[in-house]
Amino acid sequence: MSSTAAVEIHGAHAEHHELGFVRTYLFSTDHKMIAKQFLFVALFMMAIGGLMAMLMRLELGWPENQWSFLRIFPETLQQDNAITPNTYNSMFTMHATIMIFFVVMPILVGTFGNLLVPLMIGARDMAFPKLNMFSFWVSAIAGVIILSSFFVTGGAAAAGWTSYAPLSAVPNYTGVDWGQDLWCISLIVLGMGSLMGSINYITTIINMRTKGMTFFRMPLVIWSLFITAILLLLALPVLTTALALLLFDRMAGTHFFLPSGGGEPLLWQHLFWFFGHPEVYIMILPAMGVTSDMIATFSRKPIFGYRAMAYAMIAIAFLSWIVWGHHMFQSGMNPALGTSFMLTTMVIGVPSAIKTFNWLGTLYKGDIHFTTPMLNALSFVAMFVIGGLSGIFMACTPVDMYIHDTYFIVAHIHYVLFGGSLFGIFAGITYWYPKMFGRMMSEKIGKLHFWITFIAFNCTFFPMHILGMGGHMRRIYNPLQYDFLKPLAGINEFISVSALILGAAQFIFLFNLIYSYWFGEKATENPWHANTLEWTTPVHPGHGNWPGKLPTVYRGPYEYSSPETTEDYWPQNAPPEHMSAAAD
Amino acid sequence: MFLEKMYFPHDISTFGPSIDAIFLLIFWITVVTWVLVTITLVVFLVKYRTRPGRKAEYIEGNSRLEITWTTATTVILVALALLSRSTWADIKEHGPPGDFFYKVTAKQFNWEITYPGPDGKIDTKDDVTVENEFHVPVNKVIRIELESKDVIHSFFVPNMRLKQDAVPGRTIAVWFQATEPGTYEIPCAELCGFGHSGMLGHLTVQSEDDYNKWLKDTYTNQ
Amino acid sequence: MTAKIRPLIVPARRPRRDVFDGDGASEPFISSGKIAVLMLIASEIMLFSGLVGPFLVYRGEAPFWPPPGLPRLPIFVTWINTFVLLSSAVTMFLGVRAVHQNRQRMVRRWLAITLILGSAFLAIQGSEWVRLVAHGLKLSSGTYGATFYTLIGLHGAHVTAAVIWLGCIAIAAMRGRYGAKNAGAVEICAIYWYFVCAIWPALFVLVYLT
Ligand code: HEA
Ligand code: HEA
Ligand code: CUA
Ligand SMILES: [Cu+2]
Repeated sequence: MSSTAAVEIHGAHAEHHELGFVRTYLFSTDHKMIAKQFLFVALFMMAIGGLMAMLMRLELGWPENQWSFLRIFPETLQQDNAITPNTYNSMFTMHATIMIFFVVMPILVGTFGNLLVPLMIGARDMAFPKLNMFSFWVSAIAGVIILSSFFVTGGAAAAGWTSYAPLSAVPNYTGVDWGQDLWCISLIVLGMGSLMGSINYITTIINMRTKGMTFFRMPLVIWSLFITAILLLLALPVLTTALALLLFDRMAGTHFFLPSGGGEPLLWQHLFWFFGHPEVYIMILPAMGVTSDMIATFSRKPIFGYRAMAYAMIAIAFLSWIVWGHHMFQSGMNPALGTSFMLTTMVIGVPSAIKTFNWLGTLYKGDIHFTTPMLNALSFVAMFVIGGLSGIFMACTPVDMYIHDTYFIVAHIHYVLFGGSLFGIFAGITYWYPKMFGRMMSEKIGKLHFWITFIAFNCTFFPMHILGMGGHMRRIYNPLQYDFLKPLAGINEFISVSALILGAAQFIFLFNLIYSYWFGEKATENPWHANTLEWTTPVHPGHGNWPGKLPTVYRGPYEYSSPETTEDYWPQNAPPEHMSAAAD
Repeated sequence: MFLEKMYFPHDISTFGPSIDAIFLLIFWITVVTWVLVTITLVVFLVKYRTRPGRKAEYIEGNSRLEITWTTATTVILVALALLSRSTWADIKEHGPPGDFFYKVTAKQFNWEITYPGPDGKIDTKDDVTVENEFHVPVNKVIRIELESKDVIHSFFVPNMRLKQDAVPGRTIAVWFQATEPGTYEIPCAELCGFGHSGMLGHLTVQSEDDYNKWLKDTYTNQ
Repeated sequence: MTAKIRPLIVPARRPRRDVFDGDGASEPFISSGKIAVLMLIASEIMLFSGLVGPFLVYRGEAPFWPPPGLPRLPIFVTWINTFVLLSSAVTMFLGVRAVHQNRQRMVRRWLAITLILGSAFLAIQGSEWVRLVAHGLKLSSGTYGATFYTLIGLHGAHVTAAVIWLGCIAIAAMRGRYGAKNAGAVEICAIYWYFVCAIWPALFVLVYLT
């Protein structure tokens, strides 16, 4: 006890070499502060991306209705209080771009990566703290650019988040001029930011693991972040080239993607999806890592098949490079090629299967505590399975011919990205909140948010499978223009209502974040009785994380309920009996 | 039929049934998987919820189980792929020789249907071109040259489960055989600009005589 | 030979520690700086493949390559240029070796020569571009012009970056900043330099010779 007190003081000391407000909060090089910066920016972006979604749902539920409150939005989003076809296209384009590039990636990689990598491997900071700071600010600039595109004449990009050429390559085709250019520029800039980030993570994990922290003693969340960083490093440059070529087509009169002049429209799709598919795993792997840690910790049991879990993630990383064609089955790509892509896509389901079953195995004969992080992690498993299984339908070429570009796809997207990534994010934030802010998030409010979100989420996105089976195309602004979709209007309305509830529920989460910052109960050093190193620092870790020497690691991260201990957990740095005896 | 209860549009194509069959197969495989996974999950959650004085059992894994479920899923998934191969090949790779030939040109935001004139050939000066009105005889193999003038569109006939992108600079071969007379919708399924929503043609399947009559009328009216 | 290359890959002795590179942390096998530059190179390779891929596609689809009516690329001058760039890799290598041997005069000489060779490469290429544009090969002249300028231009940009980087290193070297005990910065810059030189022959063969 006294020792911890001492540590506290010491920790407090570490913060005390005077840094001004600017150095501490704006241009901080402390990985923990950078993690928080990413979190706040991403939440802000989430509000905007979510707002777009809400407006889309208003339009789809009650097509071409006028809503007087739309007045508050700029002309680029509404015209005389109604959403126009073009603004609708901008909305889902920006919705997806923001949610994917400025919400899920920043939180999973930016926040969790920065916060956890040094703390969990026992390092005092990233290998290149300055580079880390730049990585945040470059990403922030990208965010400003993408938001600014709402206000330029012609409005924001409206060619979908996939921006298929030639639609995206010639301003006249969409009527969007600067919006699309800014979209490209923003993502190029963001690419640089995450390049800096990923280099930093890889180097840190390879070089700065503390004594005894071998690769196979790393928590799975670190494994997932390591693999994600490698995917980022290799995938984003491809997007960057594609975007650069698109910009040349738009600005310099080249014809890379324009058939007039020898260009090849499908080339854009190949480049985009060669990046795009690894990208989707970039968005799920860290969430899988978080889930694994939650499930092990809260069923007080070692993760089932630790190595299998790590190898499965490595397998996903490799396979994700050879499946991109499954987005192009109906694109006019050689059908024989489609067949081989169907095969690889089916195979990539296997590692995910391994992970799913191992999560179940971890629960088996566990001692399961239903904390808020655990609830969110469990619903990650349940929802990811649904999203993954719907992927199997689309992986099958003949079936995809019918459901391609329908709401079946939209349902899949949201089951994996909201049901998967976002629930993983909720779990992670509630679990590591005490590490970030020194207080616990309110369990009551947390559970309330979880249940409303969980139910509203399923009411919103499950019916989309049925819309898809009815042939309801995606990216259409008014389904009532089609006779064969009229029977589905009721479902659309139901979805919209649930979506509004879902959106509102997120404010509960926001409230919990803010409320607990001041009124949450004070956190202890190891509030969840976890084994991993981040819980061996003071409650408020200073610059450099550990006041004294760096911890030494003696065992793997998941030694819960080990027969060798009386406690049901055994911290990685707790010296084995004989050694501690020697120490006395 | 079950799928039509699930809002599947009534199928009028020759290959539709095999597509629906595969859909159903995957549907049941995934439903069973999902039920098994979810039941196990819920049972474990209830059975092993924390109770005072009980400690979790220290289990690190089980290689035999790992191997079992890895091979099981691999077998199921690969089997699915192999099984779908032929259907796909019939629809998109080869297919029966055509009885009637047309050219469909997509453009923002209409389908341009080109009918061969009296000489029965396309791309000759006696062609008839109509917008969004696609008439075909029933029970005949229809072959289409699919093209686009500007951006990528997608030729989608829900009632035939048929979908094929129209890519500028390419001519893509599409075939189908309608089995029931009637009028069906041809929406565009690929985002193609602000007019994407509402880009809509109509497919009229009619007896060969009606078809010929209609074609003659439109021809003379030009 | 291998004995000479070794220092480039495995640090000869304890590498300069990064700010927080942990007390008690296991001794790094490769210094963080080197891992970083290798990672950078990995992603650069993807960047180039993102352009080479399309280039090959266009070539495959074009009936004539190069298309008739467009000026031919200057083969002979570019052979010379290739020689210039590759020799700069050798001088760079000698420079690094001199650093390890603590022979400051040699260090300055070799780095300076490398710098000059690099700039020469850029100068020659620049003048060739001017002539090509004058002869009517523009970015907008078909996929041929477009791929040529983007692909070669991207490489040019990398050489420029490398030259600037080496410039900074060279200035520090003039002040005798580097030696056997402190060679990290030079080695890292050298690795990048080798990379920039190494991809050129590939581009040369692809774009000019075939
Ligand atoms: C986090 C993101 C994420 C993840 C993880 C996945 C995972 C998968 N995705 Fe998905 N996908 C997207 C995000 C993601 N996807 C997005 C955003 C799009 C739309 C892009 C756009 O067009 O806008 C898309 C589109 C998309 C398509 C294109 C559809 C079309 O446009 O026509 C396809 C086709 O094959 C596909 C397949 C798959 C498959 C097979 C998996 C597999 O990895 C799933 C594996 C998981 C399981 C299979 C479940 C668990 C396993 C078991 C319980 C074992 C038992 C299972 C069986 C025996 C079957 N996805
Ligand atoms: C991570 C990714 C992600 C997430 C989280 C979401 C979330 C949601 N999405 Fe989105 N969606 C995509 C990714 C995502 N989507 C993609 C990739 C597409 C394809 C786009 C394309 O076709 O190009 C798509 C398309 C898409 C469509 C299809 C559009 C079309 O094809 O016509 C629809 C329609 O209903 C939709 C709805 C929703 C809804 C209702 C939510 C709801 O879950 C949103 C819930 C609301 C919020 C989360 C906002 C409230 C949040 C807060 C209040 C945060 C608190 C913090 C502060 C205020 C600071 N989405
Ligand atoms: Cu044409 Cu969408
Ligand atoms: Cu994919």
